[in-house]
Amino acid sequence: MESFLFYLFSTILLVAATAVITVRHTVRAALSLVLVFFTSAALWVLLEAEFLAVTLVVVYVGAVMVLFLFVVMMIDTNTTVLREGFTKYLPLGVLVAVTMAAEMFLALGSPGFGGMAAPAPHPASYNNVAELGSILYTQYVYPFELASVILLVAIIAAIALTFRRRPGTKYQDPARQVSVRRADCVRLVQMPAARKTPAP
Amino acid sequence: MFDTIARYLKSLFLLELLGGLAVTGRYLFRHKLTIQYPEAHTPLSPRFRGLHALRRYPNGEERCIACKLCEAVCPALAITIESDQREDGTRRTTRYEIDLFKCIYCGACEESCPVDSIVETSAFEYTFERFGEHIMTKSDLLKHGDQYEQRIRADRAADARYR
Amino acid sequence: MSNLILVIWTIIKIMMVMVPLLLSVAWLPYAERKIIGYMQIRIGPNRVGPRGWLQPIADAMKLMFKEITVPASANKVLFLLSPVLCIAAALGAWAVIPFSDALVLSNCNVGLLYVLAISSMGVYGIIIAGWASNSKYSFLGSMRSTAQMVAYEISMGFALVGVVVGAGSLNLGSIVHAQQGGLFHWFWFPMLPLLVIYFISAVAETNRAPFDVTEGESEIVAGFHLEYSGMSFAVFFLAEYANMILVSMLASLLFLGGWLSPFEGVPILGEPSIFWLLLKVSFFLLLYLWFRATFPRYRYDQIMRLGWKVFIPITIAWLLLIGALVVTGWAWWNV
Repeated sequence: MESFLFYLFSTILLVAATAVITVRHTVRAALSLVLVFFTSAALWVLLEAEFLAVTLVVVYVGAVMVLFLFVVMMIDTNTTVLREGFTKYLPLGVLVAVTMAAEMFLALGSPGFGGMAAPAPHPASYNNVAELGSILYTQYVYPFELASVILLVAIIAAIALTFRRRPGTKYQDPARQVSVRRADCVRLVQMPAARKTPAP
Repeated sequence: MFDTIARYLKSLFLLELLGGLAVTGRYLFRHKLTIQYPEAHTPLSPRFRGLHALRRYPNGEERCIACKLCEAVCPALAITIESDQREDGTRRTTRYEIDLFKCIYCGACEESCPVDSIVETSAFEYTFERFGEHIMTKSDLLKHGDQYEQRIRADRAADARYR
Repeated sequence: MSNLILVIWTIIKIMMVMVPLLLSVAWLPYAERKIIGYMQIRIGPNRVGPRGWLQPIADAMKLMFKEITVPASANKVLFLLSPVLCIAAALGAWAVIPFSDALVLSNCNVGLLYVLAISSMGVYGIIIAGWASNSKYSFLGSMRSTAQMVAYEISMGFALVGVVVGAGSLNLGSIVHAQQGGLFHWFWFPMLPLLVIYFISAVAETNRAPFDVTEGESEIVAGFHLEYSGMSFAVFFLAEYANMILVSMLASLLFLGGWLSPFEGVPILGEPSIFWLLLKVSFFLLLYLWFRATFPRYRYDQIMRLGWKVFIPITIAWLLLIGALVVTGWAWWNV
């Protein structure tokens, strides 16, 4: 059962991953990428890493890819322009691809990675969220804090980069709009109902 | 300053929203005003201007004398009249048509009529199923007149003081 | 063989959740029309069946026999896929929802996160629907919905983190257990701001009034489901109402003690039971309808301002408070 599911998900994963780089339509490629994330989350669940799997879905599928799709749908990609320099860049691309494949082969073939057995099934009371938390906040607390600070810097930098007020642009300030009272906009005046002297 | 803080707290505790909810909450238990239409009707004014009709005198003679005042006064040009002399020498319409798609139900025809012939009845529940049915011919209008004579007379009597 | 029995038994269990759920989804619009009608001093639908009780069946019939039209320049596959995505996300989350101590499909360790993850998938249905329709209004609707859902997911998530910190677990069953001990041990009391923010964010997340700019009948006609008709529209509709029930269910599980009784200690009334849970869910659903009958639609920039500038700071501040209570041991609900 388990191996059947593994091969099923892996097949979907590989097909979707291939689709990401071969499909010409950008929106379809992005949607394939969503499928890739989702199936890899399913694979992680098979490895009993449900916290990581669900987090992958929340972060990548639920947030990152939504924004990605948002952008991809807005832009009008002209594929013919993109394909113009295909033959020119092909040798360089092949070189990079071969290098990366070789590096991955060397890294994954090293004894540290080789032949890891599937994790033994845990008892029902086993809670890998708690396990993950206790490791993260004791053994790896400094790397964890460091990562969070780096992310914070990135957030602030992103905001600072986009935060600019163009002069001459009119903005609405909802806080001020909300706080407007009747007295600010209405002025009651006394006026005679009719003119004393008839208009000429 | 104090005012600003009070306003801020007011919006923080959603007081105005709760007030709104209280209003709709009260209305949930109010007596409902819906009138169950096909079974019950809203009261109609005697001046209601609905479907047109051509009336007759009590002896059965049609009132219309083909003066064409209604045709002239109609702002939507919905009325078409052709007239001729009848065998007994009186002037009568040979064709009296009202296009209900053009008609704006203003009641000008009714007011202009010197013999109280063309009237708008209080009937408003009529439908057309095929194109062409919206043009009321003379016989249709006379039929309406016969059909609604009681209502027309009652409405006129109720409104007589103000005419 | 045993695998086969397991699969069949699982399907039966899924049916036992889905059938009552879909029935309530069918009758929720009826309740909505009735209650909003009553609030507007009308009596709502009352023609089909006694007091209009069969109205949902009539509506379903009408929708089933309508033609599903696909716009000429639409992306056909994605156009038909997106309602499925919507309803899959809305129903999939029910897998980990517990109805009582024993009644739960999957007692998952990370139940709460799973619900968040699956319901965040629902946004794809809406984006794809808007994009695949190849219509300006649909696209505007889906853009609005995306930005809104991403923004409110954050404040909603933070509000839920407060609950997780208070209960010390991500499992929905254990979160309910952590609230044992009477009315003031339920999380609504220590976390009232979080409850309010959670529920308002949830209303925004499900694109319901007063945050229904996604549909915005008055300016973008019907938003993302403008081009849909017949059953394909009905599926979006079902997904919306299933999401409403899900959100109300989560609110009652996380903040109102789930199936725990408010009269703990009293002989018969004090027993925990599924009826308490259903009562609480109905209360939140009533709130949904009540909001719709009361509030005018928000302006879009104000929705964004509310989400980012008001809700997120408040939730983070309250989160710190809850964290402090838990760490210092003053959290009275953790006994």
